[in-house]
Amino acid sequence: MIMKQFRHEPLAQASYLLGCPRAKEAVIVDPIEDLGTDFYVLEAADLGLSIVGVYETHVHADYVSCARELAEMNGVPHYLHESAQGLVTYDFTPIKDGETIEIGGIRLEAIHTPGHTPEHTSFLVTDTARSSDPWFVLTGDALFVGDVGRPDLLLGDQAVDVMDETARAETLYRSVTEKLFTLPDYVEVYPGHYGGSTCGGVNMSGKAVSTIAFEKQFNLAMRQPNAKAFGKFVHETAKPFPENFERIKSYNLGLISREELKGAGV
Amino acid sequence: MPDVQETKILDARGLLCPMPVVKAAKEMRSLDDGDILKILATDRGSIADFPAWAEDTGNELLEWHEEGDGVLVFYMRKVEEED
Amino acid sequence: MIPQAVRAAAAAGAVILDMRPPKPFATEHVPGAVNFQFNRADLADRAELSLPTSATYIVHAEPEPIAKVAVDLLTKAGFTVAGYLEGGLKGWKATGFPTATLPLMNVDELKDGLDTFRVIDTREGFEFRYGHIPGSEVLEWTEPWDKFEGVDDQKPLALVCGDQVRSSFVASIMQRAGKDARLVFGGMVDWLERGYPVEKTPKVKQQT
Repeated sequence: MIMKQFRHEPLAQASYLLGCPRAKEAVIVDPIEDLGTDFYVLEAADLGLSIVGVYETHVHADYVSCARELAEMNGVPHYLHESAQGLVTYDFTPIKDGETIEIGGIRLEAIHTPGHTPEHTSFLVTDTARSSDPWFVLTGDALFVGDVGRPDLLLGDQAVDVMDETARAETLYRSVTEKLFTLPDYVEVYPGHYGGSTCGGVNMSGKAVSTIAFEKQFNLAMRQPNAKAFGKFVHETAKPFPENFERIKSYNLGLISREELKGAGV
Repeated sequence: MPDVQETKILDARGLLCPMPVVKAAKEMRSLDDGDILKILATDRGSIADFPAWAEDTGNELLEWHEEGDGVLVFYMRKVEEED
Repeated sequence: MIPQAVRAAAAAGAVILDMRPPKPFATEHVPGAVNFQFNRADLADRAELSLPTSATYIVHAEPEPIAKVAVDLLTKAGFTVAGYLEGGLKGWKATGFPTATLPLMNVDELKDGLDTFRVIDTREGFEFRYGHIPGSEVLEWTEPWDKFEGVDDQKPLALVCGDQVRSSFVASIMQRAGKDARLVFGGMVDWLERGYPVEKTPKVKQQT
């Protein structure tokens, strides 16, 4: 299996290519417009791989996604958790918690990890050519190295903002403790952001890889004794809101057009 | 790290099979007997190609290993054939 | 270039370079296209080794950003490129034009039918000498095209390389010339993985 992490330094964002060199197929996870559709298409082509799917861990608020365009350009599905139905205005291929998808020798398992956003999903990845046990998990904005995704980024549309910040923080705490920290200790953690991103708090590491065991032991947010203390800690260590996050989120939800987004200077 | 000191480095990362060997063969021609070429490649076909090429040409593959990010590193010593 | 223009240029002798990976190429391609896989790092180098400079080329790659980069790289390398197929294979078919396939086989099928095929190994000479399928012959992918086009196909041709990039290139040139060629998908990597027998050929010392 080929796994490439693309770091976009200005926003401390990480997107991923997972490819099967046998099947000559690849999927892209969390593509960012700043790198652009051509970037991902050419990266896959350089490896002799065809893109067969585009996945998003969630609808992002801090950067413009190019998942829709990338999926359309390649004529392949754009996957989001099923609960994004009703949140976004465009068509996508819904995935359920626990659903698995095989791309050649790669197995992706969707783990619904709400909290940062209601539809947030992590992807547990197994290289079946190596073992039937999982290798790593793409944690999006649920779990970062040293921190977690902030639960206070309200959506552009207040009508779909279903939970208050405290409730979201508790949901996130449960997602991490019950669904990610129950994975084997050796499983590697590949997050959607690293230090410098405004999607987490001040304790995010600049390193964009970790393990479940390391995070259990050293993640400051997750070291809080309970969900309530966790919520308080996350709130107190949060950074300023990302620039233009309401407009960006509105665009990523399909509520405003590319022109309206550009008009806002994004 | 191997205690061999390369004379020259060839970066063949991103090249498709058999181009890492084709480029290495070209580089080797410009080297002298005993010189060492260090080759970086990402094409996994290189793992089979460099030993085959060494056997075929009489040059010596001193050592090879894989680095963490999928980069294959080869050390090839030039051996002038005596005719 | 729109499909009609591509078809007209191909009829006038232009070579369509299908730069998709071998599998989608074999499954369906524009008739007469030559499979020359894209990558940025060494596309120009491989082209210089294996594509005649006298021909005019048309690129087919999907999606379109790859085609644009390929046209640029080949043009910079000094090749005459008329353009790329707009709308890809979908657009071609929507115009009502026919498509072709390249027959595929795996190494198991090849081993079972070794006597019925003429097995041609398109790798470099040194790779061939180091270990090849018994009874196979070497015809390097960098040979002039007339060697591929004039090959005797009384026995159907089975094309082999390390995986299937070079073999698909040669097979497609043979198919373009009307030869009965098929592609051994997985090549020597799969052959060796199955533990099938290989032959070594000692190097003949060249007289200087």
